[in-house]
Amino acid sequence: MSMIGEITTFFGLRVFTDEGRYVGKVEDVILDPEGKMIKGLAVVDYNRALINSRAKGVIIPYRIVKAVGDIVLVRDVFRPRKIQYEVEEETTEEVEI
Amino acid sequence: MSIPARSLARKTVVLTDGTIVGTLYNITVDFKTGSIVNLLVKPQNEIPDFRMEEGLYVIPFECVKSLRDYIVVDRRKLRR
Repeated sequence: MSMIGEITTFFGLRVFTDEGRYVGKVEDVILDPEGKMIKGLAVVDYNRALINSRAKGVIIPYRIVKAVGDIVLVRDVFRPRKIQYEVEEETTEEVEI
Repeated sequence: MSIPARSLARKTVVLTDGTIVGTLYNITVDFKTGSIVNLLVKPQNEIPDFRMEEGLYVIPFECVKSLRDYIVVDRRKLRR
């Protein structure tokens, strides 16, 4: 199966972690033209139990993406809420707003 | 620099000599690595250097010089 696809495929796809947790819905794809790479996925309607933010959307770094198909599968880098307060800095590094 | 893909939709694609190629239709990427592969451009002028597939020019991303108000493509960077 080819791994090459059109970028518009991402629009509207739902994002889940490999632990089966809902992350959000892809609104846009952020490109890095110098690096000739996708930098991240702009996600809306995101799971506030996973991502502690008040922003309308968040950017999920593309390096945590594991698979793209009917959904987008990402590595579960999100910590449970209780612990998140203690490691907040570390978490914001993974999920830029 | 970060560019939202939606902001590029239907942007004009020009060559370094000023010739209009057409308008951006889509971008192909490698889902596994996240690397950008090709631009798919709806033709407005005939440019024989570019490969045509299903009525769209397939332009390797290596040829892209700039992605601002216009998308500038350098056809001298085209590998043959």
